[in-house]
Amino acid sequence: MKPWYERDTHCILAHQQPATLIDMAIKRGIDSHKLLRGTGFFYEDILAGNLQIAPCQYYQLISNARRLLPGDDISFLLGHRLLPGHCGAASAALSNARDLQQALELLLRYRLLLTPLIAPRLHYDADFLYVYWQDTCGASGEWPFLTEMMTTALTSLSRWLSDQHLPWRCYFSHQQPRYIEQYQVHLGEQLTFNSHMDAMVIAREYLHIPWINASPSAAIVAQREADAQLIAMGFEGGFLERIYAHLLHNIQRPTSLDQVAADFAMSSATLKRKLSKHHSHFQAQYDLVRKCLALYLINRQGWSNEQVASYLHFHDANNLRRAFKRWTGVTPAMLKIFTP
Amino acid sequence: MLALHKWKILLILIVANLLLLACLGTGDIKYWREINWLDILGEGGVSLLSLVWLLLILHSRPAGRVTNFFVLGLAGIFLASFQDALDEIIQIPDSVSFDQWVESGLMPVGLLLLTYGIFHWHKEQLHINEHLRKRERLFREHLIQDPVTHLGSAEYLRRQLRMELLQHHQQQQPLSLLLLDVDNFAHINRRYGTDEGDRLLHELAELLLLNLRRCDLLCRYAGDRFAIVLPNTGETMAQMIAQELANAVRHFAFKTSRQGESVFHSVSIGVALALDDSAEHLLARANQALLHAKEKQERDIFLAA
Repeated sequence: MKPWYERDTHCILAHQQPATLIDMAIKRGIDSHKLLRGTGFFYEDILAGNLQIAPCQYYQLISNARRLLPGDDISFLLGHRLLPGHCGAASAALSNARDLQQALELLLRYRLLLTPLIAPRLHYDADFLYVYWQDTCGASGEWPFLTEMMTTALTSLSRWLSDQHLPWRCYFSHQQPRYIEQYQVHLGEQLTFNSHMDAMVIAREYLHIPWINASPSAAIVAQREADAQLIAMGFEGGFLERIYAHLLHNIQRPTSLDQVAADFAMSSATLKRKLSKHHSHFQAQYDLVRKCLALYLINRQGWSNEQVASYLHFHDANNLRRAFKRWTGVTPAMLKIFTP
Repeated sequence: MLALHKWKILLILIVANLLLLACLGTGDIKYWREINWLDILGEGGVSLLSLVWLLLILHSRPAGRVTNFFVLGLAGIFLASFQDALDEIIQIPDSVSFDQWVESGLMPVGLLLLTYGIFHWHKEQLHINEHLRKRERLFREHLIQDPVTHLGSAEYLRRQLRMELLQHHQQQQPLSLLLLDVDNFAHINRRYGTDEGDRLLHELAELLLLNLRRCDLLCRYAGDRFAIVLPNTGETMAQMIAQELANAVRHFAFKTSRQGESVFHSVSIGVALALDDSAEHLLARANQALLHAKEKQERDIFLAA
């Protein structure tokens, strides 16, 4: 089992992504002491250039910024500045991506450097590419902010590097907010709220349109450097992200808390404690994986309820339907529009 | 602001002290049983409150003619009620009459001066309102103002639009809504930085205001999108105004702050005519028209179906 980072692992370079938010707030006249209250670090520490903060400190920073900064557009403005960003080699590699496909692969590969709190999960089918947003460390209340921010970041990056508007369709699990105008202006009109997943979808034909300003040789050098950086950090992903990947990988075999704890080489009590530290519990994570999979299989692959039921180890289709209703609020038959 | 008015405050306090000394010099302090505490509470309260009003007004206003009337009026009221309260504590012999004059003379004079001040303040406010009309019509609500452009926000727009639509239905007058979007605004932010982007938005807001009529309302919808409400405006007129705005922006040479080079911009505008629909629906139609205008780059303006 490869190592992972947790809520309190010091793994985010403060002068990279968090500094973007801090600079924006300070420029808008927010006092840096007020902004960093409760985060456990000071503005002067960041300038040293090697301060690593933990996800929970970053959450606190976001929460403070949201409280102190007026306006509904903070997450969107931040999103515009986030990618390719100022994260050294990873940003350089991203800005030299030759097309959308490679940009997404790099974003996935360097997610710990570029976007440590909210990770992309890519999924391809015959016609579309799906980018699902995955909570890495239990964002809870800050999750809508993070999805707004990353959706804007990816839209803005692809707009900038491809020099054209790409027809992204954006799905959000939260309700349509009062400030819908921010979504319309920054993300376009193809929006779905109250969705079962947070995701972005685009037709596959846009994946391979070449981006003309990319420099292939610079990209190779930057990638090598960023890879070395990743190896030096030694993390495979966030804790919840690892749990999700593990459950998905082993979905065919019946599983339990004890089994997963054994796979992660820890006691059941420790796993339970770690999950609860990340504002979650085993059943929630297991349900999340099965929900996403069931949605995908039914909606995109056209599987029948019986097929999905047997795949996910339900006794019969009725049991699946009941569980599905519990996960999503609707039965498989009723679900169509809200699913990416 | 109080520092501006320190001499006035000092003068009022000196006069109040002189009154106190004059009363003490001519009269005798009453015995406890002679004192009517209810009167002291009432008259003392009036004098204290008028002093508080005076300080609040001085603190919030620049020096000037209107402010002077406020000061004179409130000072008169304060001194009259102060004298009134002193009378309750100090027994002044009947042979002395200055206390009568202060009490009964200053109060009406003070009230008159205050009234005169309020009348001119009202005129001053009308003048300011006129100045601000296109930015924030009908009433001022600073909570829903956008900090970058100092225009109304989308929330303000929706409220205004609801009111305008109500009027539109009652009076059968046409009403148009424009949504204006700067082309390739994201590139400005990327290339010159977000400070330059914000400055461009601010200058564009000023430019658009110059090209609008008194009755029109300009708001910042979100990001680089502006909304313009055109009351009593039909389709032809709305398209003409939209074209004028597009021309004005196209000829506007924005100077970057670092190099001073000129950067030119074009805009796309969606036009929607109010039918029997809600503010949200009208906005949605204008947004659709804007998207069409953006797709057809050769035309700046698109009218919603």
